[in-house]
Amino acid sequence: MDFIVAGFIKAFELLVSGDSSTWTAVWATLKVSTCSMLLSIGAGLPCGFLIGYFDFTGKKQLRTLLDTMLALPTVFIGLAVYAFISHQGPLGGLGLLFTLTGIAIGQTILAFPIVAAITASTIEGIDTDLKLTLVSLGAGKRNIIATCLWEVRFGILAAAVTAYGRVLTEVGISMMVGGNIKYHTRTVTTAIALETNKGLFANGIALGIVLISIAFIVNLSLSFLRKQ
Amino acid sequence: MTNLEPAYHLKDIRHYYGDKKVLDIDRLKIENGSITGLIGPNGSGKSTLLKLLAFAQKPSMGSILYKGRPELPFSSTVRSRVTLLTQKPYLLKRTVFENIAYGLKIRKEKNNIEKRVKKALLNVGLDYENFAARLWHELSGGEAQRVAMAARLILKPEVLLLDEPVASVDTESARLIREASLNARKLWGTTLVIASHDLQWLYSISDRQLSIFKGNIFSTGIENIITGPFEKQDKKTLIKNLEDGQIITLNLPEQTACTAIIKKKHISIDLEKQPGNGHLNQLSGHIASMLLEKKSETIMATISINDLSLILKLSPEKIRLLNLYPGKKVVLKFHAHDVEWI
Repeated sequence: MDFIVAGFIKAFELLVSGDSSTWTAVWATLKVSTCSMLLSIGAGLPCGFLIGYFDFTGKKQLRTLLDTMLALPTVFIGLAVYAFISHQGPLGGLGLLFTLTGIAIGQTILAFPIVAAITASTIEGIDTDLKLTLVSLGAGKRNIIATCLWEVRFGILAAAVTAYGRVLTEVGISMMVGGNIKYHTRTVTTAIALETNKGLFANGIALGIVLISIAFIVNLSLSFLRKQ
Repeated sequence: MTNLEPAYHLKDIRHYYGDKKVLDIDRLKIENGSITGLIGPNGSGKSTLLKLLAFAQKPSMGSILYKGRPELPFSSTVRSRVTLLTQKPYLLKRTVFENIAYGLKIRKEKNNIEKRVKKALLNVGLDYENFAARLWHELSGGEAQRVAMAARLILKPEVLLLDEPVASVDTESARLIREASLNARKLWGTTLVIASHDLQWLYSISDRQLSIFKGNIFSTGIENIITGPFEKQDKKTLIKNLEDGQIITLNLPEQTACTAIIKKKHISIDLEKQPGNGHLNQLSGHIASMLLEKKSETIMATISINDLSLILKLSPEKIRLLNLYPGKKVVLKFHAHDVEWI
């Protein structure tokens, strides 16, 4: 137990002293996760809305595919992205391997089905009386879509938070695509994995605290927004 | 287009949910500024008809003319003029003020919104100061229904469609909603179509009652429905056995049909059975209720015959002559050939 307690004390010192390797990893994590979240929300929200709102041929099959993608292992996504952006891959020329952009692409693939599937479920769960009410109040098609989205805003926020949690805590993609390069592509999770392997629990715990704090702040902000 | 055109003219309407036909209306007109009562059991097609009249759905077949012009959902003509209030209306996850002002905002009407919301709330007996800032979940069922009503009244609609508007609210809310709907007609000449199980209210306010059963409209108001099982007596007649041993004889339908309609006009009332005539049904029962229909000054009497209730219209003279009152034992008579099948 002593080493865990000592780890917490050391973690506090590292964070307060502004240890560069720790804070670089934190910064890299924030950058890639924010970027991948923006991309996945940008693509996943309209896609989820279309799947949830409209009835079309092949909708069930598309939902099944989307739900299957929810279970994609991060190492598989890492492998696939690696294959595409490595020098031998079709996108090798873009020089994305071992970059934060590469990690962001992988994490976007990870978060996209989460945002799309939860958004689709939320939209499908809209009270059937809502549309009837809006029509009876004179809403046009655009008003209906905008109001429906606003009515399920908490469900969509939940989709974003769930996806953010997944992106923030994944290791496989960051490790395989980013390469865990110190001061460059090392993220909080890859750093924790590395420090623990080296027996440096304090650094691992420090980074773990940061990770939990980020998740806590995000949830707290959303909870505040919900109350507003 | 003239003012003489009815508010609605439905032509050859057939509406299906999947393979199931839920509406079958050849012709129906609803006059401008009238109050139409819509009566029928649950699942008879009342709500579907109101949704079609609200242009929230397109009929599977047929056309709906609004003031002489064929209209479809989302047409700009009807969108801002026809509104529907359902039994459990959806309140937006916003404040009462925003809920009521929603219709104005999407019409881009920005003048005197606060004043108009205040007036709309007052119309349904709610105080602006206490209610405007409340959130949707801070209202009782009756208050929520009144807010929904106010959200529609603020639009000064040409047509107000009410689907069981007071079925699940407290007595005071029901009274205020009823008053507000009648005020709309008085103030703006709004055409009202009201579906309700509250027959007393409907008969006292409506100019006309439409009865709906299995998607079929009967413009003579509520009619008597006899459902199976029936037994085949011979090649031409079916019988229905009542639990108390009485028998109803009905002519066999020409086409496949399973529900018999006996119109009120075909039923007569007496105090004694008369001998003979096997095709004249004579059923003993008790008067369960009597209801005054203000417009025609006739009385709607419901006669309870074992587990069956039959309705007929009676003149005040007939009631005086036979000294009829609720609870009195009577005999209802109608011919087997007066049955209609649907």
